[in-house]
Amino acid sequence: MPVPTFLEYGRILPMQTGIVFDIKEFAVHDGPGIRTTVFLKGCPLRCTWCQNPEGISSEPQTMTSPAGERIAGQRYTSRKLADLLNSQADILRRNEGGVTFSGGEPLMQAAFLAEVIDRLDNLHTLLDTSGYATEQDFKLVAAKVDLIYFDLKIIDNNALLHYVAVDNTMIIHNLRLLPSLGTPFVVRVPLIPGVTDTDENLAAIAETVKPLAGLKRVDLLPYNKAAGGKYAAAGMTFAANYDESREVNANVTPFEQRGIPVHVA
Amino acid sequence: MNERLEAMKKRVREREHAKLRQDIEVQPDNDRYEREGVSWHGRMSDSFRALCEAEKPIILDGERIVFTRTIKGIPTPAEPPEVRAAREKGNGSVGVANISANWDLAVSQGLLKRREIAAASLERMADDEEAVQSMTACIEVIDAALDLAARYADEARAQGRDDLAEILDHVPAHPPRTFHEALQSFKFLHSLTWMQPTAHVTLGRFDQYMLPYYQADLDAGRITEDEAYELLCELFISFNKDNDLYPGVQQGDNGQSIMLGGVKPEDGSCAVNALTYLIMRVSHDVNMIDPKINLRVDTNTELDLLIEAAKLTRRGLGFPQYANDDVEIQSLVNAGYDLEDARDYVVAACWEFIIPSVALDVPNINAVNFLAAADTAIREGLAAQDDFDGIMDRTRQNIFDQVDVYVASWRRWSLYHPYPWYTVLMSNCLETGRDANRGGVKYYNCGIHGSGSANGADALAAVKTFVFDNSVIERGDLMTALVTNFENDEPLRKKLLNEGPKVGNNDDYVDDILIKLFNDFADACESHKTDIGRSTVVRPGTGSAMYYVSLVRCKQEEMMEPVVEGASADGRHKGDFIGSSLAPSPGVQIRGPVSVLQSFSKIDYSRICNGGPITMELADTVFRDEDAIRKVAMLIRTFVELGCQQLQINTLNVETLQDAKAHPELHKNLIVRVWGWSGYFCELDEPYQDHIIGRHMLAM
Repeated sequence: MPVPTFLEYGRILPMQTGIVFDIKEFAVHDGPGIRTTVFLKGCPLRCTWCQNPEGISSEPQTMTSPAGERIAGQRYTSRKLADLLNSQADILRRNEGGVTFSGGEPLMQAAFLAEVIDRLDNLHTLLDTSGYATEQDFKLVAAKVDLIYFDLKIIDNNALLHYVAVDNTMIIHNLRLLPSLGTPFVVRVPLIPGVTDTDENLAAIAETVKPLAGLKRVDLLPYNKAAGGKYAAAGMTFAANYDESREVNANVTPFEQRGIPVHVA
Repeated sequence: MNERLEAMKKRVREREHAKLRQDIEVQPDNDRYEREGVSWHGRMSDSFRALCEAEKPIILDGERIVFTRTIKGIPTPAEPPEVRAAREKGNGSVGVANISANWDLAVSQGLLKRREIAAASLERMADDEEAVQSMTACIEVIDAALDLAARYADEARAQGRDDLAEILDHVPAHPPRTFHEALQSFKFLHSLTWMQPTAHVTLGRFDQYMLPYYQADLDAGRITEDEAYELLCELFISFNKDNDLYPGVQQGDNGQSIMLGGVKPEDGSCAVNALTYLIMRVSHDVNMIDPKINLRVDTNTELDLLIEAAKLTRRGLGFPQYANDDVEIQSLVNAGYDLEDARDYVVAACWEFIIPSVALDVPNINAVNFLAAADTAIREGLAAQDDFDGIMDRTRQNIFDQVDVYVASWRRWSLYHPYPWYTVLMSNCLETGRDANRGGVKYYNCGIHGSGSANGADALAAVKTFVFDNSVIERGDLMTALVTNFENDEPLRKKLLNEGPKVGNNDDYVDDILIKLFNDFADACESHKTDIGRSTVVRPGTGSAMYYVSLVRCKQEEMMEPVVEGASADGRHKGDFIGSSLAPSPGVQIRGPVSVLQSFSKIDYSRICNGGPITMELADTVFRDEDAIRKVAMLIRTFVELGCQQLQINTLNVETLQDAKAHPELHKNLIVRVWGWSGYFCELDEPYQDHIIGRHMLAM
């Protein structure tokens, strides 16, 4: 929701606002160095294994747990969020880090996000995205950041729709835009037992990403059995439509065969 | 660790050696002391001698470093009549605990040399009654120790352990010839220190005073790193043998702390050496509660060393604890310590910064309760229609009043308990013919903890923002809510808890109040310069110790410190815990460790030298790979570069803790950091277990 609040180059510009459900410092698994991850609220994918259920809705909600209550979902102007991040810029830069924008799907708030990034004080930025966005939104942000974590789940559209609320068309389209944007990227595959970790799916992912210039590596992320942990706190129900107890198949062969660097986190 | 060490550790955990304990108590010979008019010094040395004589040498199967206690109790002789009379007039006595001996001196000279020095002083000062009594007592305790060591050597020979007998024939009487002998000598001297009425026998700069022996053995080809590793493992396991006999608030609270790294006292150059690294590896592998590891760091510390330290942090033992030389040395100098002494600092029991060898500071006497100071000011100030500055003035006055009460009580302490054994172990005491506790050392300062600072600042900030700046809460409504423990106003409590500015988020609005609380505390301490008995300064600190439980759970009549009996304006319910040392208030939402460091870096530590760590919990999942461990090392570097003073990082998994509470039998070896020390979770009383679980629920 644009609010005209500040003067720039002598004219009043609308300042974007966005809704953030968490800000986590020292997010050691979200990119290089010491970095802060901003979780933007709202996501259309609704993956059944989602670990951040409070990131799905675009509205603020109360999280209740034995540790107390907190409101997930705070509105920020782009300046307020950028100022907050900039207050640690020296520390983040000194320690090879920066800022990661995750979610939810951060590109749902692409205009806000672009404005925040423009206001950052020379900080390394990382976009952690599902790739589900209009081409315009995707390009707007993807061209501004230093690194992209691009999540790929299932290549086969019919299979995907059994677990995720949207299809692959825009996702794959945006993935293929990456070489032309020149932003280096890592493809990240959550290994959901029996769902994303089949040999066929991993091979399909490898085949899809193989020709893309700018691909640094593929990260395979084994399923976290605590995935359902936050649903009760968010007043939601976790309904896994897969066998959580199964061992994941962290098969790196399809990637190695194609000469793609692969890492199991 | 190899099989031999694992088996040794298992035997210690199963307390097999405790079966060898004698069912006797050594009684002080009080009748004779009275009849013969034995001096206080003489009573102490005679009781120590009697205990040494009653001890039985124990050499357990395969042990290469020996000493095991067989008698549980420590004889405490009656005070001489003149001391009793003074006590009846209201004077208090000052014992010795929480100090760091000059282990370097005692080990390197050997007890025979120490005896020679005492004998020379005795002869030189023959007409100085105090010196005669003290030196005679010191000679008696040295002889008792040498006699016990000789019996250990005999026992070794009787068991066919000629290797050990050869070592025990030589140390602790003489200067060690090898690293192994140095460790044995130290083990002996340290164990005997527990055999007088004291607490918290710290180990000091172990990597400094042991280095010459290790280096000489390496240079001569007498030892390999692996052999040194094995000896150190054995020594470290042995620190856990008799720790059930050492007094403390809970088991594990015994002050067996090592200080690693830092700078050399003579020129301030880097003191990190091969043993610094080796000891961290040993501590990691031994994986027991003792000894606790502290690491001194500064802006020049190599990231590699911090990475080794972070690996130890990952173990979840709650150590190392980090101290920042850049900040603390200057702070000690500002408090009046000589630069060379300040550069040599160690920690006492938990985190209190003390100077080894030359100081008998008492760094943990009482605690300022910042939350009580703020809470009383808020209640009285709101009732009196104060503005916010008025409430801050009342808070300052309350802090001054608390310090005044403590200092007034210390003034009654004028009976200085002699400690012949510690006198043997400290610098310049035998040399000058003075007992360590009666004029033998340079410094006798006092320190006060500072607890509840984040809760206090949060409570004041909530009042400032909601009552004064934004006028969204009425004075009367807040008063009613506090008096009724928020019984009918949960929304108000949530507002205070969730929407107020909180320490730990790098928010100047509330951090400025935190800074002010500590400045007021420093001012209050500085107002006592000439009226504190033999002390020259009162040292303000940032630690909480057990006060994070007792200041909100105990009854006022049990505590000298003011207790917070009700709810508080930070949104805290009556009886809820306050934070540990420097930590955000329990239950508040913060963004993470970087903001926490930024908030606490704003305190003016140049006036706050007593110590008390920023305490943070990291989830064990943080430490997944080498890259993440390197990031933890960078976080420690950030702590240094921001100019914070002391840091403790705890690593655990909250589910493990909850399961351990429900099924203690399955988690016998689970180690947690409690406050300034680590202990076995299942051996802690419930409130301490609950405080730890609460902290880890908020792990970052």
